[in-house]
Amino acid sequence: MSRDLSDPTATRPLGVALLLALAVASCGDPDARAMSGMPEFCQNVLPSVEAHLAALPTPGGERYGGTAVVGGIGEIPDGMNSLVSADHGANQHQIFMNLMTLLRANGDLELEPYLARDWELNEDLTEVTFHLRDDVVWHDGEPTTAHDVEFTYLRATDPNTGFPNAAFWDHYVGGADGVEVLDEHTIRFRLTPHAELLDPWRSTAILPRHLLGDVPPDELRQHPFGTRCPVGNGPFVFQEHRQDESWSFVRNPGFPEELGGPPYLDRYVYRVIPEQTTLLTELLTETVDVYVAPLPDQTPQIEASEALELRAFPFRNYIFVGWNSRRPQLADPRVRRALTMGTDRAEIVEALFRGYGQVANAGVPPFHWAHHEGIADALPHDPDGAAALLEEAGWVDRNGDGVREDAEGNRLEVSIRFNSDRTRQEIAEIMQAQLSEIGVAVQPEVVEWATLVEQITSADARTFDGVVMGWVTEFKVDDHDLFHSTKSEQPYGWAGIGNDRLDVLLDTLQLVVDRSEALPLWHEYQELLVELQPYTYVAFPRRLAGVNRRLQGVEMDVRGEWVSVADWWIPADRR
Amino acid sequence: MTHLLRRLAGVIPLVLGIATIVFFVLSVAPGDPAALYAAPGVSPEALDQIRRNMGLDRPVHERYVLWMGDMLKGDFGVSFARGQPVRDVIFQILPNTLLLSFCAMVLAFTAGVLIGVLQAIRQNSALDGVLSVLSLFFYSMPSFWLAIMLILAFSLYARNVWGWPISFPASGMTSVDHAFMSPGAQLRDRLMHLVLPSASLALVLAGGIARYMRGSMLEVVRQDYIRTARAKGLPERTVILKHGLRNALVPVITLLGLYLPFLFSGAVFIETVFAWPGMGKLMVDAYFQRDYPVVMAGALIFAVIVILGNLIADLLYALVDPRIRYG
Repeated sequence: MSRDLSDPTATRPLGVALLLALAVASCGDPDARAMSGMPEFCQNVLPSVEAHLAALPTPGGERYGGTAVVGGIGEIPDGMNSLVSADHGANQHQIFMNLMTLLRANGDLELEPYLARDWELNEDLTEVTFHLRDDVVWHDGEPTTAHDVEFTYLRATDPNTGFPNAAFWDHYVGGADGVEVLDEHTIRFRLTPHAELLDPWRSTAILPRHLLGDVPPDELRQHPFGTRCPVGNGPFVFQEHRQDESWSFVRNPGFPEELGGPPYLDRYVYRVIPEQTTLLTELLTETVDVYVAPLPDQTPQIEASEALELRAFPFRNYIFVGWNSRRPQLADPRVRRALTMGTDRAEIVEALFRGYGQVANAGVPPFHWAHHEGIADALPHDPDGAAALLEEAGWVDRNGDGVREDAEGNRLEVSIRFNSDRTRQEIAEIMQAQLSEIGVAVQPEVVEWATLVEQITSADARTFDGVVMGWVTEFKVDDHDLFHSTKSEQPYGWAGIGNDRLDVLLDTLQLVVDRSEALPLWHEYQELLVELQPYTYVAFPRRLAGVNRRLQGVEMDVRGEWVSVADWWIPADRR
Repeated sequence: MTHLLRRLAGVIPLVLGIATIVFFVLSVAPGDPAALYAAPGVSPEALDQIRRNMGLDRPVHERYVLWMGDMLKGDFGVSFARGQPVRDVIFQILPNTLLLSFCAMVLAFTAGVLIGVLQAIRQNSALDGVLSVLSLFFYSMPSFWLAIMLILAFSLYARNVWGWPISFPASGMTSVDHAFMSPGAQLRDRLMHLVLPSASLALVLAGGIARYMRGSMLEVVRQDYIRTARAKGLPERTVILKHGLRNALVPVITLLGLYLPFLFSGAVFIETVFAWPGMGKLMVDAYFQRDYPVVMAGALIFAVIVILGNLIADLLYALVDPRIRYG
């Protein structure tokens, strides 16, 4: 027998109950939801972190207190798991906030001790020995030891982990043969001498062996440690992660005094605000203290506000148009040079980056010790010179239609692909307009990001002519994957230029330890890039940040936005 | 009840069919989930290993069987981009969408029905004209644009320019110090954060609902039983609210079934603009990142919600119209 739903007295409670269920489900307390959904690992780990923190004294002083809120457009992918992440924001939160690296860079980009108290290299540079601090503990109270460093190294060099930056240790002896724990706080690594050989220890945060030692390497990526309950040893303790919403950290009161002591802030919150107009509003209404990487268009509003200041500092990225030299019309380096000379890159920097940046000529950024100032004017904006180069290469407008042809009548047509990024689109459109004046027909083509990546990285599908892209370099610049002839069929060998001298330079530059010896080679390398023009290097944009003036002690430079986060403080009357 | 069970039983093959189609369409779409990690210095071997760790090295039919098997056991796999079980990701995100959709829906239907009824009983008056223009104005407005305008007016200008005593938060679900507030302040904080996003969604919907409601009400007030009600001396209020409204609501309830999926998927712009961590944005991000497990789970949930939306509409028909029976 079925119930007669036509009886209103019968259906009303049902309807109301449905709506109520919906409301209750929606309005449930998120804290309770978060706890009940916690993986077992976190339920075991978090109480010990709480107990450890509760036992530590709260530091006193007028600078201590307050919450700083940083807003950015993206999540922190892979969170605090340094072994599986390659994201800039994630790396910054790992190395400056929640975790520690063995070494850190000072303002002059020289390496200095951090988790390692000091280090020594043997005479032939085949061994490096680190002496670790003995006063650093994980946030659950366990001491940080050489075994943690060994564990991180073994996992990072284990192919099963899939550590994106495994190439950091290409010149180290991978696996157990390459590392030896001498005592609880001393560890030695074996390597072959190479350039910037200590740099990996600046950028890779150490992870706790006692928590992750039993996790199979290929399961590290999905382990709850990264995004649900990271346990670090850095100045900030993980407090909470709300998916796609926020990350919260609190002060680590036990952070060693010698390293700056506990941070001034009680709490730090990173908020994910994907829409940049909204993010600017939050900054202007002072509900967000730092807006990471605002659009250049938004800088006038930030500058106009008395409560805010605009920070512009050098960064490690550059924007370029990569040329596929396998395409017949782009095979001749003279054509590629002409495309660069026909483009007014200074105007692009002025118009699209509002002057926050400078024209690039090769992939070594201006802050880098190997940057070559001498090539600054090597390829100026010179439409006449560009036209002459094209004529020399055999491209002439034979039928008077405004587009050049070669001897066989093939038109000089070049498509430039980009994803739906507005700046990249505008670069392609500006090039279309400017290059038409020298008889080159440019066709801008927008392609969805994942599809574009597949089109350019899969060697058998490389039918593109040009692509607007950006790279973020490490402090140790290595273009091997981009331009070495043996990498031409690999994912990043887009340009496909094979050049013997370039190969030699790319190989040698990674092995020369002494910077003064390497510098002439670096200069030669950059000059050769100008000649070969695998890319039209467009710009080194400066990194921007909008910062509320109530936040003191904020230093931002090429090391990142978060480099001084442990020293940020808020005056008592503005908390 | 039999009707309900029969309807629910019919859902299962439908949902499985949708899941299968989505799985195979995704598997032929260009793009590579491991491309998130692709950069110079990341070796092809490392990328291959990342793919293996994601289980992408298996042939597509094998992945399908594994996925379907796990899914039937309630395991949706692990998100490629987030490194967390999909179940956990959805568990964190879905309630946010339910909250926003529910509030927007209540607001939209309350306002829409009210405006529609007002217009119908004052047909052809100046009020009718003004409300018609207003509802068409909101109905034809893109909700993300409306959202940005609301933020600029009620958040930025209200605080920084006009100096209003009250301004609304521009984004997020709660303030950063929410956890340290008293229960009363917490509730107020949540409501304040709900105002602009739910208004952005609701205003656009309410415009449409008002148009439907006006038409439907005008149809009803011309019926004989309304004349009868008036003739027997019932107050106008009772005539309209009890006899008229209830009958006029039937076609409007159809909209509930139609709008529910819109609120879940079409709210993506609103979620983005207001930094509201919801299902729409989760799905779009997951698609662009080729985070297949999340896309699959999301597609399933959407399918279920569309079907539930229609089911709720059916139940509500019976609630307002005693002539409708399900046996």
